[in-house]
Amino acid sequence: MTCEEVRELLPEHLLSSLDEVTDADVRRHLRGCAACRDERMKLEEGVAALSRAVHDQDPPDELRDRVLGALEEEWKDAERVPVAPRALTRSRSRSVWTAVAAAIAVVLVAGSLAWGSAQAHKAQLASANAGSYRDLLSFLGGKEFRVGTINPSPGSTVQGQVLLYDGDAHHGWSSWGLVLVKAPGFDGKATATLLGPDGDAYTWPPISFHDGQGAAWIVTHKDMTAYDRLTITSSDGSVVASASIHPA
Amino acid sequence: MHLVRTDDPGADAALMTAFAGRDERAAGALYDRFASRIYGLGIVMLGNDQAAQDLVQDTFMKLVRTAERFDPARGRLETWVLLTARSLAIDGLRRRVLESRSLHAVGIPREDDPSPGPEERATVADLSARARRAMAVLSPEQRSALELAYFGGRTTAEVAALEGIPQGTVKTRIRAALLRLRDEMAKEADHDV
Repeated sequence: MTCEEVRELLPEHLLSSLDEVTDADVRRHLRGCAACRDERMKLEEGVAALSRAVHDQDPPDELRDRVLGALEEEWKDAERVPVAPRALTRSRSRSVWTAVAAAIAVVLVAGSLAWGSAQAHKAQLASANAGSYRDLLSFLGGKEFRVGTINPSPGSTVQGQVLLYDGDAHHGWSSWGLVLVKAPGFDGKATATLLGPDGDAYTWPPISFHDGQGAAWIVTHKDMTAYDRLTITSSDGSVVASASIHPA
Repeated sequence: MHLVRTDDPGADAALMTAFAGRDERAAGALYDRFASRIYGLGIVMLGNDQAAQDLVQDTFMKLVRTAERFDPARGRLETWVLLTARSLAIDGLRRRVLESRSLHAVGIPREDDPSPGPEERATVADLSARARRAMAVLSPEQRSALELAYFGGRTTAEVAALEGIPQGTVKTRIRAALLRLRDEMAKEADHDV
């Protein structure tokens, strides 16, 4: 996308009326173009000016208590999340990392099977893994695993799997994710990006391919629950594969 | 009064981190900074006090649930908050249209009549007058495109269809309108100094 094209799209980008793919292209351009970021900043100042000039109106005094009271209630509700069984709460941080390591092992097995083994064998193991997932979920405190198959874009050979674990940041549980990809004959770098329905994007550390295979993983306190798609982009910014993410 | 203000991205990021961490002072600071503009947006877009108050509360609930996603590198906090409110107001407008259509279809009058009372009508009239003054710096074409897109929640394709003009012209008009407003407010701010 050229600067001219991006600047034409900036008002729509700012007002959230672009389709997701175009909006992701604009955001990608903005990340690497200071001049267009400056243009966006000017338009943002236009929105701020509009809001101050046109719709700045003091609300009734009592609204402040009502809104802050609702926030307090929201926070109290979040604290009432069911507590994990006592036997599982000791040494929380160690348990989390043990669980993460166990889950990654499960995925690595599942991933290698998906690439190398017969369908019947996969189905048998998937059943066993489903039990492992359930145990692991209970162990980790309740949020879900989500998975997706990474399918190549037309003309691309990149394919693979993505797995996310949505932790509970309010209770100190990390979220984490793993991407395993392969592209026969490809040695280079690619980037995995999670996308949400409102256009939010979360870019992962680069994936380095060696002998046609690559992987990336993250551990974060960021809330990843809203992300439901993943794209893999090559170093020239084109999307070479994508996945829809759904509960495991 | 400084109408164009350069916010400190670092301070905004710290404020949102504190808000995400359930800091009541951060919540109060955010409310004091943005509630009037969210409420005013509700009055303009939804047309009555109760709906505008609900918009303020709903916006803060949305903000607290998404606070961890705020990234100052991707835009200003001010724009993020205002566009979150605008998006919720647009949802409210759409719900209202659907509701009135379905109630109209079966001939049932609304119990919670949203028609504004005398005080609300005065507030709306005051805001309308202010809006007319602020928007007077824009050409009628720019004003129309900006109002339909910003307050009406229309896409540029929809504005183009409504106005009978090419989509590219709509984009150009909205962009020019925002830049003009920015420049005008900056001039006023300079005069105030």
